Amino acid sequence: MESLLQHLERFSEVLAVSRTPHVSTWDPATVRRALQWARYLRHVHRRFGRHARIRMALERRLQKQWRQEGGSGPAAAPGLTNFQALGRCDVLLSLRLLQNRALGEAACHSLLQQLFPGPGVPGADEDTLQGRLARLARRRSAVHMLRLCGSRESPVLQEDALMKTQAELLLARLREEGRAAAAGPGGLLSSLWERVPHDNFLKVVAAALLLPPSSPRPRGEELEPGTPSTAGEGRPELVRWLLGRSDIMAAFCRRLPAGVLASVAGRHPELSRGYLGLLTDWGRQLRYDLQQGVWVGAEPQGVPWEELYGRFQSLCRAPPPLKDEVLTALESWKAQDGGFQVRGLSVWTDLLLALGSGT
Amino acid sequence: MAQNSAGLSSDYQFWMQKLSVWDQASTLETQQDTCLHLPQFQEFLRQMYEALKEMDSNTVTERFPTIGQLLAKTCWNPFILAYDESQKILIWCLCCLINKEPRNSGDSKLNSWTRGLLSHILSAFRFDMKEVGLFTQGLGYAPADYYPGLLKNMVLSLVSELRENHLNGFNTQRRMAPERVRSLSRVCVPLVTLPDFEPLVLALLTCHGHEPQEVLWPEFFGAVNEAFLLKKISLPTSAIVCLWLRHLPSLEKAMLHLFEKLISSERNFLRRIECFMKDSLLPEAACHPAIFRIVDEMFRYALLETDGAPEVLATIQVFTWCFLEALGKEKKQLKFALKTYFPYASPSLVMVLLQHPKDIPQGLWHQSLKHISEKLRERVEDQTDGSYGGPFECWFLFVHFGGWADIAAEQLLMSEAEPPEAVLWLLAFSYRPRDGSQQRAQTMVEVKAVHGRLMKLLRSPALSARDLQAAAGESQAAAPRPSACGQLIRHLLLNFLLWAPGGHAIAREVITLMAHTDEITHEIASFLDQTLYRWDHLCMEAPASRKLARELLAELRGQV
Repeated sequence: MESLLQHLERFSEVLAVSRTPHVSTWDPATVRRALQWARYLRHVHRRFGRHARIRMALERRLQKQWRQEGGSGPAAAPGLTNFQALGRCDVLLSLRLLQNRALGEAACHSLLQQLFPGPGVPGADEDTLQGRLARLARRRSAVHMLRLCGSRESPVLQEDALMKTQAELLLARLREEGRAAAAGPGGLLSSLWERVPHDNFLKVVAAALLLPPSSPRPRGEELEPGTPSTAGEGRPELVRWLLGRSDIMAAFCRRLPAGVLASVAGRHPELSRGYLGLLTDWGRQLRYDLQQGVWVGAEPQGVPWEELYGRFQSLCRAPPPLKDEVLTALESWKAQDGGFQVRGLSVWTDLLLALGSGT
Repeated sequence: MAQNSAGLSSDYQFWMQKLSVWDQASTLETQQDTCLHLPQFQEFLRQMYEALKEMDSNTVTERFPTIGQLLAKTCWNPFILAYDESQKILIWCLCCLINKEPRNSGDSKLNSWTRGLLSHILSAFRFDMKEVGLFTQGLGYAPADYYPGLLKNMVLSLVSELRENHLNGFNTQRRMAPERVRSLSRVCVPLVTLPDFEPLVLALLTCHGHEPQEVLWPEFFGAVNEAFLLKKISLPTSAIVCLWLRHLPSLEKAMLHLFEKLISSERNFLRRIECFMKDSLLPEAACHPAIFRIVDEMFRYALLETDGAPEVLATIQVFTWCFLEALGKEKKQLKFALKTYFPYASPSLVMVLLQHPKDIPQGLWHQSLKHISEKLRERVEDQTDGSYGGPFECWFLFVHFGGWADIAAEQLLMSEAEPPEAVLWLLAFSYRPRDGSQQRAQTMVEVKAVHGRLMKLLRSPALSARDLQAAAGESQAAAPRPSACGQLIRHLLLNFLLWAPGGHAIAREVITLMAHTDEITHEIASFLDQTLYRWDHLCMEAPASRKLARELLAELRGQV
């Protein structure tokens, strides 16, 4: 086992080097050896797919390594991050070497010979490296063509293919982190927050929270039988992380569309309480302009009345438990403000009237 | 070889021009034209590779100075990269361009350029959205890791859109415009064989939308049908039914494909025909009357064109067996009246014919035969009413259920009683449909006489092959028998051999005497095959007869 783990470590290093200028020192023999290692690990992946204990040990090592290599640091690079990745480590290595201009002529020639031996090579065609690379090319064209001609952004966030894919990847990674790291996935999420564009990230988080629990994992990510089902995992960590980071929670509630937030709140009661709390804060910042007869923000970056109204309107369209909670909250805030039934005194009274629920 | 390479050169010019016009296949016209040429172009690429792999890279650039340009153009056409094995062959071609021992900077530059193309094919079409790339990379994923998942989700999302479209076509809010469905079907043409696309192909085939006219592109149907016939994809029968209902040329092609398979497989036993038949899904699909009618129409033409070839007759019979079996399975949700399948036949006749002999006690078979015979005779001899077609239509209907004619011949031999007129007529009609009533009466008399002689032999203590031949009238060379009537008598004789107690001992000798020509040997083999097949279907218990038939068949097959 230890030798296997060492092997894994060495290959991870090779993989890391494969995208650097160091490959200029590689000769044909090095390329051959690197591909042999990849083949061996692919074999390990096939052989131990059903051994939960070995899988776990390998996965832990991979995770540790990925973190050490700065996988979750500022200069993150894709690498071997989970057991499934072993199944395609040869493809990953091949693509990196092919794209690395530093690879010398002789080494490159040897690489091509090994990747594309031509027709008539024994073995199930689909399963050879050549076959899998060709299928990758075919799938890439397919994605491209669908994006050109057929696909469009879905109005439902979690049904949009790009969002859904990113959400599935995020959940898969969270599950792995949850299994491998004692500290939980909060660190990974915070470090991602620092590095990736926020709007997309928030949308992905929302999509992940909205995916149906049984949502199938991306192809190749399926767990073989014999491993515990972890369908719900990942989402509680996300919720916990959001609630623990008030700045991100505020951005989440502010930047995402009202409809999406209402759905998220409907699915995750803890978040719905946080959301309502933020809505109260925002509402309290509004002042009534007597001359205009409208509610205006005290600060320019505050939430305007229309937006606040839109958010409550979406919440009130949600199925019963959430809708009732929201209305009860509004009523109680109205009561705190004196329970007046006249416009312009309490923002809650006016909201209730606007929503058609004023009593 | 020289001719070959000349052909390749002229093809080369043709495709170079095509590729220049196609560019990146971004317009409707270029996509359409690319799709039309995908298989041919793949073949050209294959030939190109065969030529290139024999040369070193210097010779390649000498022989085809613009090869780099040609392959580069190919690399930028997503339709070609998406089709079947084209991307693989293209990669092989590019590998041939690599100079193993670059001598100067020009060689190295070319190598580097080729590498660029290779890496483009494998990593082309990166997302134009930077944030997605950054996010996935931040999670530690490379595009190769998530492309399959992304493609699956894209397909699923389109599938659910199509389904929704199908269900609430009038809800304009989330409606998929017909134009979009159409262009989607075009994009699928090169991709129908990619397993990831199966759900989308299925949804396109089964979701109709609410347009009065067909929105899917005909080439899409063609591509799906082709892939299905070549077994490159497997689709549920319901989807194939949709395909054939929506695109008639595909159904016709499926029928032709079946015929081709039957013709190219040398000797067809009914079991094998049945395998081909079931494999084609045609009998199952024919549960939909519109499909049945077209399939049947093609059988009719095949029968007319071949002048009633026994192979075609056997195929129609097997088709009908399989069709009725499929219909039986579907019975619970049977939506169509039998009349819709046989609109020109008399319904009461169809009802009798459709009854499986197995479902009728053997003792009552003669009644069914009588009934069938009378109904048919009524139609055939009724000159006034043309609504059910002439004798040919009656006969065409009857040959679907040809098993009844075989039963009639068998029944005749199994009873010593005077043969009923109805059975004699049925046999005469079935074997010689074109005869006039006078000729038919003559045949009936002849058959009756042969029957009488055979029955006498049944009681003779020492049966000989010569006696049997004499009884059949074979030796009366003075009056050569018309061949079809000869066939009927031969079949009677063979039945006699299989069933009469003394028949088994002399069977081989009689057959040797009978089989003057290869044609007759073949005919006898077909009869035995058909008889065994029928017995299997009827679950007939006749171990001795069965054993003999099987042995005789094996011996005859060894001869022809």
